[in-house]
Parts: sequence; structure tokens; C-alpha cells
Amino acid sequence: MRLPLSAAAAAVFCAATFAAQAQSVDAGRRKAEACVACHGPGGISADPAFPILAGQTARYTYLQLKDFKEGRRTEPLMEPFLAALSREDMFDLAAFFAAQKPRPNAFKADPARVARGKAKADEVLCTMCHLGGFLGQNEIPRVAGQHYAYVVKQMRDFKTGKRTNDAGNMASVAKTLSERDIEDLAHFLSSLY
Amino acid sequence: MKTSHILASGLTLAFALAAASAFAQEVPKTINVTQQQLTGAGGQAANWLHTNGSYAQTRYYPGKAINTENVGKLKVAYVFQTEVVESMETAPIVVNGVMYLTTSFNHVYAIDAATGKQFWHYKHKMGPVTTFCCGPNNRGVAISGGKVFMATLDAKLLALDAKTGKLAWETQIADPEKGYSETMAPTVIDNKVLIGTNGGEYGVRGFVKAFNAGDGKLLWTFYTIPEKGHEGVWAVNDATGRNMKRDIAAEKAALAKDSSFYQTLGGGVWMNPSVDLKARTVWFVVGNPSPDLYGAERPGDNLYTNSLVAIDLDKGTYKCHSQYIAHDVWDLDAVSPPVLVDVKDKAGKMVQGVIHGGKTGHVYVHARKDCSLIRFSQAMIPQENMWVLPTAEGARMLPGANGGVEWSPLAYDAGSRLAIALNLHQPMTYHVEAAKYPGGSKLWLGGAFKAIASEKQWGRVSAVNIDTGKVAWKLDTAQPLIGGGLATAGGLYFFGEGNGSFNALDSKTGKKLWSFQCGAGANAMPVSYTAGKKQYIAMGCGGNTQLDFKRGNSVFVFALGG
Repeated sequence: MRLPLSAAAAAVFCAATFAAQAQSVDAGRRKAEACVACHGPGGISADPAFPILAGQTARYTYLQLKDFKEGRRTEPLMEPFLAALSREDMFDLAAFFAAQKPRPNAFKADPARVARGKAKADEVLCTMCHLGGFLGQNEIPRVAGQHYAYVVKQMRDFKTGKRTNDAGNMASVAKTLSERDIEDLAHFLSSLY
Repeated sequence: MKTSHILASGLTLAFALAAASAFAQEVPKTINVTQQQLTGAGGQAANWLHTNGSYAQTRYYPGKAINTENVGKLKVAYVFQTEVVESMETAPIVVNGVMYLTTSFNHVYAIDAATGKQFWHYKHKMGPVTTFCCGPNNRGVAISGGKVFMATLDAKLLALDAKTGKLAWETQIADPEKGYSETMAPTVIDNKVLIGTNGGEYGVRGFVKAFNAGDGKLLWTFYTIPEKGHEGVWAVNDATGRNMKRDIAAEKAALAKDSSFYQTLGGGVWMNPSVDLKARTVWFVVGNPSPDLYGAERPGDNLYTNSLVAIDLDKGTYKCHSQYIAHDVWDLDAVSPPVLVDVKDKAGKMVQGVIHGGKTGHVYVHARKDCSLIRFSQAMIPQENMWVLPTAEGARMLPGANGGVEWSPLAYDAGSRLAIALNLHQPMTYHVEAAKYPGGSKLWLGGAFKAIASEKQWGRVSAVNIDTGKVAWKLDTAQPLIGGGLATAGGLYFFGEGNGSFNALDSKTGKKLWSFQCGAGANAMPVSYTAGKKQYIAMGCGGNTQLDFKRGNSVFVFALGG
């Protein structure tokens, strides 16, 4: 282990790692065929009730699948798919969706509400966790360009305690938001790309 | 089909690597930094060998070719562009005309410090799991012998050959699945690489570890959370004597039921330690308890969170500590690296001291012999409602949770005996939310902080006389300040702003003498050095994730006349 790696050995090592990642995305692509009906091809859903998964951080997708499977997050429509998922399946799916390119959201955001949502986001300090541009990092999800209806539902669920797999962070924030704030934020987030 | 695809990918990559190595260059000189050089770093003007200039961490550069008389003629000598457009907090290390700088996501570049010409570029292969709060930052490398050392977001410690940029060894510091990550630069002394950890937002058990610089073997670990005794003395007041409104009886009852939480009590160490080589003592400050805002889960003083701590350099054993805020529920913790300077004690006698700029907005002055607090400065920024307890609806208190002084290192101007601090003013409300430990994989704040939209945010440079605690001068800025400062024997103080402005002040008066617009947030840590008999000032301008300042990818390097 302490021997210096030769350049050739390093190249082989990198190639092997790269291949493993490619395999994971490829495996995820096959496994994601079951997801297309709701989440759309390439993780871009048409129905705004279902989240866009394209470009989502792999860590977030993995942890959500794990939470669904282990009962920390509930969604009846997800249940039939979870029982058979192994840890590797969840990693593969997460890797696949992270590698997909999202597209601008077709939702017609109201410019005035986008501006209000941006101001509210600045106040709530969302980007301290979600990163500038709301691109997400690690276990903190990308929410840029997410569906309006989905974002509104999640914020309401955090606020009312229906969704609780956030370690209390989003619940604490959402409890300070009015219905109008939530809608403004969803206009703003859906307008980002 | 799949096999050939993978093989093709592998071959393409192997070819790309071969091509890349053909363009990569070795540093065209021998790099060998001795312990003597590292020990004497604060007293010479050729190199910048430590993140904060020396083991004392004064960020004081003894050269004066650039000074108050001629700083107006400071021009850009070159701009080095990295390939990473993201938050930049690096303090470049410069030795023998070669600069080593880092970027977010753990890239390292070796460049010619006089021209900006690139020698090599190392890109860390990040593991599949990273868990970190506040941005994918890196604050730089340490150097010793012929190696540079970097700690990574996936909680590894790497040693690279300083000449070639090739990996010499790597070792896992802690488990990223449990919330450990690294953004600080290591400190190397006596063949030991000292490193703390992030993770106070994820329920880690913080530490400082020492690794053998030769082979990466672990030498010792000091846990910032002791297994027994973390409840402390049940302090009613903070270090400045203000009541913290604790319900001690309820805390004692909770502790009697369960004291097993030391494994998830937090206490990260975000910045480099100072080292007193003669006393064989390491000084550092410890960050917040986990979860940040919800205290019911963790009764007691939560030692050694929010404290200055001294440990033995050779064994990693406890020597002394001084806690600023016991049982913190505001995340007003201790982050800015401690500075070793001689100070006047309460009787006016000069003693060996150690000072720290707090998120509370005070500069704390301690005696090195026993960690005791000699004095604390006037508040550098407005304080209100301290210590109102967080509520579900939100309680307003100043300073906001970023401080005061964030990780931003102090600079100490030896000429005027002023400690110069970069402060934030961000009015916030503090919110609490009951939350059980979520397993290390998720941010665990136990609440939230919110800015108050109707109240203005701003920054302030404050110069504090360390012998009296009085603020000698201050300069307000349009935005909150985060990043490093640099004092020089030329009577100057350099610092940057989130709006891209990089400035030089007269360090005795705070008068602005020079400014340059970098085009992206000037939030890294400025350094100075001499190459080819010319003094240079270098500053990374890549913005900041935590305050969402405009991102960039450049290190600007300045000299007289360009």
C-alpha cells in the first residue's frame, strides 16, 4: 500500500472506477424503467404531482428511497416498487437520475410571485443548504426547476408534520411560511434552471 | 456490448490520462521545507508557509516593500484561473517561488508564484459519499519536506509530492457516512499532520488527530467531546457574565436519564490550530454542539464545544480549556483560529497570551498558562436580546448565527498591537424544532435561522487593542464580511468583500488606501510573499457558498506596478 502507484497503475485504477460508475448508471437506467410511468423518461415527469428526478443529487435520491423503504417517508404510490429494491438497486437508481440532464420547467411562473419568492428565499437563507441556484449538495436536494405542484405539496407536508424525514430542518422553516409564501417560493423555484 | 463499451471507456480514459500527463509539468526545482523554516515562518518575508503565516497564526507579513506610501500603485501582476467555479476560501502556500493553491472539490494547483504559469494540477477522486454543510470548500494545503498535504470533503488526508503532484499516500480520517468532512487546511509540525473535522451539523463526535507525515499512520486522537464529564460545571453565565437562561434542574434530570449522547454531540474543529513549540502545546477552538438549536437532547455544558482548548503536541492529551458559551443553542460557536501573542494581563504585566475572535462579536484574550480569560473586547457589532432562547415561531437576537466573526481568521498588527477582525451583521430569528438524531446522513440543526427581511445586513472591520479590549477603529462595509485578513509591516491591512472589492487599509487608522474589483466575491484568505525580489499579494476571488456571494474561479496576484 505504501508503494508509490505507477502512472500505468493509476490509469488502470481510474479506468476501473470509471467503469464501475458507468455500470452503475447503466444498471440504474435498466432499473429505472419501472419509474418512467410516473417520473417520465430520463426522470423528467410530465405530471407535476410527481417530482422531476433528473439531475437530483445521488445522495438525496438514495436516502429518500431508503426512507420510503424503511417507513420514514410514506407515499402509497411508491410502495409497490420498494419491497424488492436492494441497497445496490437504490445506489444505481440514484446514480442514473443524477446523471440525467434536467430541462427548464414548462410551468408559467408569475414574474411578480417569482420576485416575492426570491425575496422570501433570501430571508429564509435557503441557499445556505440548497446552494446558490438551488442545485443541491449531497443529501440536500436540488429544487431548481422542480414542479410547482410538487414543491407546494412538500412544503405543506413539512409544515403540517405529514412529512418528517427532514431531521426537523424543513419543518422548522415551513412553520414560519404562510400559504402565500409557499406558493411564491414554488413559483420562484420552478422558474430556475 | 456492455463489456466493449466499458473497455472502450477505460481505454479512452487511459489515453486521456496519458495525454494529460504529457502536458503536466514538474516543478522545475527541488522543494524541501525544513522544520526550521516552518518554525521561523513568521519572521521572514520570502515564503508564506502556513495558512495563517506562522504557528502563532498572526497573519502578519514582516515585509514592507508594499507600504502605506506606495500601495496606491499596486497593480495586477497576473490572474490564475482554476477550472472550478465555486466558493473559494484557500490560503495559497508559497515556497521558493512556487505557489500551491486549492479550490472547492479538492483540486490542487502548483504554479509559478511570479508568473502564474501552471506546473501541475491534482484533482482528488471524490468517494461516493460526501456529507458537508456550508459549501464544498477547501482552505488550502500544508507543506513540509517535499510533500503538500490536503484534507478532503470525503474525509481523507492526502500527501502529494510537491514536485510532481503525484499522490504519495492517503488515509481515511473519519467516516463520511456519519457526517464527517474536511475543509480546513492541515498543520504540519515535527513530522505530524494535525487535522480537525467538520460535522457539528450532523451529530459527529469532533476531534483533532495527528498523523505521521511520512506514511499517514494515525499517531493520536483527541476527542473534543469527553466520554465522561461533558456536563461541565453547569455554567449559568457565558464567558462575559451574561445569563444564558438555562433550566439547569431540567437538564440535570435529563442527564440522569441518559448521558450516552457524547457520540453525537458535535464539536467540530474547523480551522487550523496554533502551536506553541516550546511548550509542546496545541491550541484550537471547538465548534457548536449537535443539534445546533435544540438543546433538550444534550443536557449539560456540552464540553468542550464552544471552547478554547489546549492539548499536548506529542500525546494529544488535555491540558486546559475555557468555554465561551455552555450549552449553546444559537450556533454562536468558536471557529476563527486562535492567535498566539503576548498580552498584558489584568495587572498590566506582559504574559504569553492566546486570542480568539468569536461569533459573539468579542475578541477574547486568554493567558496561555491555564487558558483563563483575561479580558474580552467591546462588542465589535450590535448585540441585542442575548441570550433569548430560540422558539418555534422564531426569537430575534443579535448577532445572527453566522456571527460576529465566522471562520475568518484574525490578523494581528504587531506594530500597533491591534487584532483586526472581519465581522458580519445579519439580524436573524432563531427557531427551535425537536428532532432526534437522524443517523449522520442528514443535516441536524434542530431548528432554523432566518434573516429578517426588513433589516439591513452589513459588515464591519474592527481593530481591537488586545491590551485594553477597546475598539481602536472600525470600517463598515456594504455586505457581511467572511474571509481572511492580512496585516503587513508596511502598515497595511488587506481584506476582501463579497461584492468583489479587495482592499488595503492603513492598519493603524482603518483608512482605505487602495481597492481593486475582482469581479467575484473576494472571500478567500490573502497572503504575501517575495519572488524575484518583488513583494506580491495573492487573493482568491471565487465567492462564497454560505453567504451566496458571486462565484468565480480566480486567484488575483498583485505587485507594485503590476
